Amino acid sequence: MNWLLDFYNYRIVAQYLDRFAAGLGNTLTAAGISLVLSIIFGTFIAVALLSDRQALYRPIAAYVAFIRATPLLVQIYLVYYGLPALLPIAKSWSDMYFGIAALVLNSAPYMGEIIRAGIESVPRGQIEGAKAVGMTFNERLRHIVLPQAFANTLPPLIGQTAVLIKDTSLLSIITVFEFTSAGILLNSERVRPNESFITIALGYLAIYVVILLLARMVKQRLAGPAWNAQG
Amino acid sequence: MLERYWAITVSLFPFLWKGFIETLYISLVAIVVGSLIGFFIGVVRSQRVPVLNGLFGLYIHTLRGTPFLVQLYLFYFVLPNSGISWLSWDSITAAFVALSVYTSSYVAEIVKAAIEAVPRGQSEAATALGMTRLERLWYVVLPQALKLTVPPMSGVYVMIIKSTAILSVIGISELTRQGEISILRFPRDVLFIYGLIAAMYFVYCYPVLRFARWAERRVGAARIVDLD
Repeated sequence: MNWLLDFYNYRIVAQYLDRFAAGLGNTLTAAGISLVLSIIFGTFIAVALLSDRQALYRPIAAYVAFIRATPLLVQIYLVYYGLPALLPIAKSWSDMYFGIAALVLNSAPYMGEIIRAGIESVPRGQIEGAKAVGMTFNERLRHIVLPQAFANTLPPLIGQTAVLIKDTSLLSIITVFEFTSAGILLNSERVRPNESFITIALGYLAIYVVILLLARMVKQRLAGPAWNAQG
Repeated sequence: MLERYWAITVSLFPFLWKGFIETLYISLVAIVVGSLIGFFIGVVRSQRVPVLNGLFGLYIHTLRGTPFLVQLYLFYFVLPNSGISWLSWDSITAAFVALSVYTSSYVAEIVKAAIEAVPRGQSEAATALGMTRLERLWYVVLPQALKLTVPPMSGVYVMIIKSTAILSVIGISELTRQGEISILRFPRDVLFIYGLIAAMYFVYCYPVLRFARWAERRVGAARIVDLD
């Protein structure tokens, strides 16, 4: 067993287990909060992008273009140094809040794009048909539009969630203590890169596998006419 | 106020420009090398070769399941620590290898999906004409598949360009890193300098994004990758 201890000393990892657990907790918290907020914000973006009003469409389209064409790391720095100047309350925020704010601002346009595609994927004939049988707006939304939009939106939304979780790793750069930071801490205290970074990689991989299985499950459950129509 | 910003821009520009060229260079090399590796893996995976299929599947999922930052740490800290002499590379080699390998995982999935999107009848007709497997692939399937890869590939390239910013963490003197150094000279204008950097990335990435959208309209937007 000596070669294993040489390569990967799991006893050191065991000593740092509480740090890894704390980091993982923060990663999942940051990702979870960002996910909910960016879906809400993303829905507004989707509506604005579908709008005919130039005053609404143009600024949002410019914002989306900016987010898509600049690196997340630079956006995190911009939020980290810029937000306290814009919002006086932000001066007392912890690094975690800045991290979540940056992640939400970054992932909302991607979420918005997915939601917009989902809304547009419902054929007009469906809505017209529902009108023809005398459904009210709310009934149409509840029974016709949303179920189909939802079925088309959920799989890419899960994919974007996987991206969001991976993106939280960049928060370690603005000293949020998340999963990657735990590995960096181990490496800086013990100078054991294998134990630090292979552990983190395996941790992220485990999260990814869970999401992959979830995506497959959702796909199978939703495999109905709405999903198959997408080709 | 404006004059001050103008003065900062003028004095920093040559420095940031150097970083921008480095970003351009690293991203282009990674895109070319990564695409070649990814193309090969994608073609092999589309043929469902028994053992290779599983191995390459593992390779792709490992790369897509971990953040690029963590992969970079693996290439920069863990591999040189393995005791194998040719793996004890410097930071710039680690950056090139990490970014190319990362690119290849995305390109491979796109190429595989595009090959599978070419209608079966094409391949069957080629079989009926007596073409071998390689001939079918080379003369019939690949030319049609390549066209389909253009829109998603441009999207991935933008992602790769943006990922080069992360290389600043291991001290590669690309655009973001040059900006961080500039901040030591003008510590009061952190926000402005990051804004300047963002603008330079925008100038590089936005045309590629526009091209992707244009190509999507030409080729038809096939959303062929759903978990990325």
